[in-house]
Amino acid sequence: MSWYRRLWDHRLGRVGVLMLGFSLLVALAAPLLAPTDPYASVRVSIDDIYAPPDGARLLGTDDAGKDVLSSLIYGARVSLLVGFSAAAIALLIGGTVGLVAGYRGGRLGNGLMRITDFFLVVPDLALQIVIVAIIGQSLRNIILVIGALGWTTTARLVRSQTLTIRERKFVERARAVGAGDLTILMRHVLPQVLPLMLANTVLVISLAILSESTLAFIGLGDPTKISWGQMLNFAFSRGAVSAGAWWALIPPGLAIVWVVLGTTLVGNALEDMFNPRVGRHHLEPERHLRTRTDSPRPSAPDIALAIRHLVVTFEGDHGPLTAVEDVSFEVAKGESVGLVGESGCGKTTTMLAALRLLPPGGAIPSGEVEFDGLDLATLPEDRLRQARWTRLAMVFQGAMNALNPVRSVGDQIGEAIRTHFPERTKAEAMRRARELLELVGIGADRATEFPHQFSGGMRQRAMIALALACDPEVIVADEPTTALDVMIQAQVMDLLVDIRQQLGMAMVLITHDLAVVAESCDRVVVMYGGRVAEQGTVEEVYSHPAHPYTRLLLEAIPDMEQPGRSLISIPGSPPRLDELPPGCRFAPRCPEAMARCHRETPPMTVLGRRREASCFLLEEPARV
Amino acid sequence: MSRSRLLAKKIGWALVTVMVVLTFNFFLFRVLPGDPAKAGVKDPRLSAEAVEAARVRFGLDKPVLINLDEGPWYDSQYFRYVGSMAAGDLGESYAFKNRTVGELVGKALVNTVWLVLPAQLIAIAAGVALGLVAAWKRGTKLDVGALTFGLVTWSLPTFFLGILLLFFGSRWFGFPTAGRVTIGAEYTSIWDQIGDIVHHLFLPTLTFALVLLGEYLLIMRSSVVEVFSEDYILTAKAKGLSPGAIVRRHGFRNAMLPIVTLIALNLGFTVSGAIQVETVYSWPGLGKLTVDAVSTRDFPVLQGAFLLLAISVIGANLIAELVYLRLDPRVTEV
Amino acid sequence: MDRRNRATWLVTLGLLVAACGTGGDATTTATDDSGGTTTAPSTGEGGTVRIGWGGAPADLNPGIGVLTEDYTLYDLVYDSPINIDLDGNFQPELATEWSVSDDGLTWTMKIREGVSFSDGTPLTAEDVAYSINLYKDTEAFPLLPSYVTPFVAVEAPDATTVTLTTADPLPNFEYRMVAMYVLPKHIWETVDDPTAFTNDDMIGSGPFTLTEISQSEFVRLSPNPGYWGTVPTVDEVIFQTFDNPDGRVQALINGDVDMITEFPATAIANLQGADNVEVADGNYFGGRLADIFFNVVEPENCPTEEEGGICSGHPALRDVNVRQALATATDKQQLIDVVLLGTADPGLGLVTNSLGDWYPAELEAADYVFDIANANGILDAAGYADSDDDGIRECPAGAECGPTGDLTFRLNYPTDNDEHPRVSDMLSGWWNEIGVKVEIAGLDSDTLTSVCCPSFDFDVMLWSWTSDPDPESLLGVLLCSEISSGFSETGYCNPTVDELYAQQQIELDPAKRRELIVEISRIALEDVPYIIPWYYPRIQAYRTDTFAGWQVGQTILSLEDPSTLTVLRPAG
Repeated sequence: MSWYRRLWDHRLGRVGVLMLGFSLLVALAAPLLAPTDPYASVRVSIDDIYAPPDGARLLGTDDAGKDVLSSLIYGARVSLLVGFSAAAIALLIGGTVGLVAGYRGGRLGNGLMRITDFFLVVPDLALQIVIVAIIGQSLRNIILVIGALGWTTTARLVRSQTLTIRERKFVERARAVGAGDLTILMRHVLPQVLPLMLANTVLVISLAILSESTLAFIGLGDPTKISWGQMLNFAFSRGAVSAGAWWALIPPGLAIVWVVLGTTLVGNALEDMFNPRVGRHHLEPERHLRTRTDSPRPSAPDIALAIRHLVVTFEGDHGPLTAVEDVSFEVAKGESVGLVGESGCGKTTTMLAALRLLPPGGAIPSGEVEFDGLDLATLPEDRLRQARWTRLAMVFQGAMNALNPVRSVGDQIGEAIRTHFPERTKAEAMRRARELLELVGIGADRATEFPHQFSGGMRQRAMIALALACDPEVIVADEPTTALDVMIQAQVMDLLVDIRQQLGMAMVLITHDLAVVAESCDRVVVMYGGRVAEQGTVEEVYSHPAHPYTRLLLEAIPDMEQPGRSLISIPGSPPRLDELPPGCRFAPRCPEAMARCHRETPPMTVLGRRREASCFLLEEPARV
Repeated sequence: MSRSRLLAKKIGWALVTVMVVLTFNFFLFRVLPGDPAKAGVKDPRLSAEAVEAARVRFGLDKPVLINLDEGPWYDSQYFRYVGSMAAGDLGESYAFKNRTVGELVGKALVNTVWLVLPAQLIAIAAGVALGLVAAWKRGTKLDVGALTFGLVTWSLPTFFLGILLLFFGSRWFGFPTAGRVTIGAEYTSIWDQIGDIVHHLFLPTLTFALVLLGEYLLIMRSSVVEVFSEDYILTAKAKGLSPGAIVRRHGFRNAMLPIVTLIALNLGFTVSGAIQVETVYSWPGLGKLTVDAVSTRDFPVLQGAFLLLAISVIGANLIAELVYLRLDPRVTEV
Repeated sequence: MDRRNRATWLVTLGLLVAACGTGGDATTTATDDSGGTTTAPSTGEGGTVRIGWGGAPADLNPGIGVLTEDYTLYDLVYDSPINIDLDGNFQPELATEWSVSDDGLTWTMKIREGVSFSDGTPLTAEDVAYSINLYKDTEAFPLLPSYVTPFVAVEAPDATTVTLTTADPLPNFEYRMVAMYVLPKHIWETVDDPTAFTNDDMIGSGPFTLTEISQSEFVRLSPNPGYWGTVPTVDEVIFQTFDNPDGRVQALINGDVDMITEFPATAIANLQGADNVEVADGNYFGGRLADIFFNVVEPENCPTEEEGGICSGHPALRDVNVRQALATATDKQQLIDVVLLGTADPGLGLVTNSLGDWYPAELEAADYVFDIANANGILDAAGYADSDDDGIRECPAGAECGPTGDLTFRLNYPTDNDEHPRVSDMLSGWWNEIGVKVEIAGLDSDTLTSVCCPSFDFDVMLWSWTSDPDPESLLGVLLCSEISSGFSETGYCNPTVDELYAQQQIELDPAKRRELIVEISRIALEDVPYIIPWYYPRIQAYRTDTFAGWQVGQTILSLEDPSTLTVLRPAG
């Protein structure tokens, strides 16, 4: 989608565009819109001075008897002209300085940055006053002064952006190919920098307009040109306040606010677009919590966690999207279950839902998560918090930022303990934290260190230590080995296995790696397209896969013992949540799909105790 | 680079910048057209002898950069200036004859601080609180209201807000229109005195606070949203912490990092930013002193004021970086 | 917030509270050196008068002061031999009588007895002679020496007599004495450098003494109990600075001050409508005028490069026809209406209508009447036609026509005055109608001085003058001899004027002197190097419910003067 379309879609951005557009329109059509020409010299009488608004002069007159409305309309021209021109100069200088400093780096780059810092340090308004006193108060000079002093933030921004881009592969490649610096700058770097500069541009414009109005107000504007700041200067110094002539003061001020606000909104919207930060966050109040008055059906005594017919939806642009549909499985005490499937199949979402840690916009419209007689899906917030970590803990995927970088690791582990066992002292909690760190192989003396001081593998271990802090019955490990190298992967998996053996907790291992599941899990649940395709013990599923998807997955595992066998992959890709196929989710990619599969969703066929799969083929006899 | 070396390097650069500013100031003001010896006195009674005497007193009869006439080569305006600066002597004002720049600038600075500091404190407290609440209750009416408020105050030119508040404040509420205190007043108790001071400070401080508030609110809000969307917040939530505890122990401090640097920078800059408020409210602070000194070509006062502004900004920058160094353990190179 | 931060907050709060007491002003108190805000002497029945003004005194030393506010202060704290009253008449102050010898070269003043300075020391003729000599001999004093340069010798033969000798007769002796603030010799003779003396104590013999001053903020004065004249009734006078004119006006309306010395004309209606507020108008001492002047310096009169002469004026302005056309295209009444809301009198020449008889009222009929058609006619007849039809006239064939080759003039004005932008706007409009284009640029006063004189690097300029209460005070700008000194702003040179001026300087007969001055004014009006659009009125406003005794309704209005402040008493 083109950027201006996206800008229009952005709610506040749209408001800003409309506001700015209106001002530009007024400025351009000034001669048509203004009732009189404020630049013409007209004979006035004393009564015309600071006359209040009436039929002919909708905003009254100013200190020279001129119609305020006309001045306001024409004033848009100068204010906007100065704003845009000064901003253009500032951007030109700032952009060039930033590009050169960022691209060349080294002495030149540092030198340029020192100069930038110096300009940042000099008080800009005071300096503007002095310089205008030197070079005289013409419109051109004011534009020059504002532009010449307003480039520093752009330079800094462009420089840091250029620095990042310079290291990117495509730039290195271009250089390797022998492209000249200028070409690289123009062709490769500039287009990447431009979007961010665009957002900055708009903000520079708003600052330039503010600067012009301030300078004019202080009396350093060009009094022969009507601008909003100049109108305020006349009103203020020619006693509009004591004459009670609010109409000479408020409209030009509001006009300035209007334009600056408009540009700010547009600038913020552009920044949001090009530098997307997550608009929503984890602490937003829950909005779609279901409640129930009854209790869930208790599960068998050997079952720790039972997920039954869970449905998870997300807020989409055109209505809720179903990410997880009718998922059911159980985790027995001490058992380890592998939850496998391709990216986006809903495995992580299912477990996040179990802990009610869904991102904002997520909801659990139906189904239950039974744990020890409680339905976690509908439990009130305060009771849920008690259950979290003490019963069910999670080791998150990609531990890069999963720990607070400004607090020590031991501190954060201790915090978990003291949240649930407030009677323990800080010292006791810390002791336990050190024990846990020792347990996972990090070493107790590293408890006071910060997360950034740990390597990737160690951070993952620390996360495991953290998960163990309150002796949960079930641990969920979400892709614990992604982004780790093979040796570390093995270590971490071994650790998990060891811990399970030592402490006897159940584990749900979310992964796309079937080999790992085979080695460390008792059971496996295969998910596809938000639904369970097949589940059973590892032995059952791996030796006799019942679902075509499972079969293809197993075939896709590279086998070290058959190096000659060519690698295969499953053609196609998983369905998008907003484009779910009717019928069986896998049908579009299934080599054995029948006509029926494209129309109806296959039910879960029970194949044994805690063994089931959903496929129409299973209903045909002699296919097991 | 070790943190102490980094610290030393930063302080070193700060000093170099101050030196450059000193020299820059010197030449900048001498480029101004006009004659300080006549200093805005266009008067038929002014004799040529008096002008010449003034010129000699101000040292303006000496060559600007290097003395090629009789006497030592360093007997020039520039070196006299550098020498006296090094000795801590900022010179005497041209306009307020026989008053030292140190005295004038010092007093003006105190007045500005009187105005700026309470405003900053209010703006920080309110901006941070509102920004936090707005971000936390993102998407609710509270958030939209706070966001609009922040955007509008950010877009208001300072002087315009000042005029409006002066207009309504003095006409409807009878707030004083100038002065720091009621002159010559007798106070029966310290509370009376404080009340009088507050009465006079109210409008200018409110103006300044509102202008700063918008910026703090917007930046805090975006910082909080960013921090609250970090993975470690999810971890904290999963651990079973209450939202309040998460905000207190994980969210707030991290969200405050950009605010802290912003506060330090703003503190350094507000001395110059107060020009607009001081103009509208006739507040005898550093901004007003600077503007007046430009029109009277009072070089020593201008040099002193600019130097002070530069030092405060450089100092504030330095403090901001040091605070950041302390707060964020990840930082080894800023 | 953890405990560490809380402590910091408390400390900061504590500092704030502690700092309340000092308030951070480096005040100079005459009687109290505490440096803090001193409280007023106990309020007796006299009351405290608060006066709001726009500036502030910068120098307490009468020798070096240049601002109006400085002189307001000197008038209240010091006496001079002769004073000028609100009708423009000279009155005895420290000098009970004065006379001149028959040859007109020796003046004698009798000094009042029983006068003492505020520190108790008696004031004698010695102090008077000492002060006048000090002003005369200290070259570095900017303004006061010019009043007493004609005096060759000033002596005090006894304790009550002062004699002053001149080389030539002096028609305006009294006016020169008005500015001679009498200083205590016993203090000033101990000072090394009179120009460097800050004079913080301001020991004088006037009706008030200085209690406290805070630069650019306020001045506090209290009555001098040993004053030889009427000791003021009020307990205290406070002058407070309000840079913002609206703030000043509002302060009066709110009752924060009892009188304001100046305010924009646009506030008059508001003030008249306010309760218990009166607006008064009158003249300035000597008058104050606005002027529009042209650069007419002839190349042969241009100051040398060393003296700073640039002389870049447009040649067409040296043609009196052009100037007369421009004067005819200037609507003084409209300027007055728009800029001053009709409150000023139309101007005529450099001798203002506040100077009583000296004002050449008979010349009013000869002033230029606004008439665009007429103005166009003058230029047509003089040969300035618009040959290229671009709306701007060119010069007659063969005549130099400046950098643009047509009648395009630069117009400058000082930016510290809020009226000039509007004036230049209107002038531009009218002059456009007669084929003259104007390029307007405001400059700050210092820059303006440097382009004006003696460099003559401009075409047209707007400014203003305040006149002393003597007609010759401003006429000096017309002299050829003042072109290189920088006093002449226009570079105008007419030897006849110089002659007449020299004659009136020594003409003791007022009637004859007046004739000479009227003739100078007539020539100046005809040659029109200056257009004087208006004479400023003095408009002040005061409260009626707090104090009574404001001296209004006379020729001159100056409510901050001793004439009011010594007689002011609480109202009702």
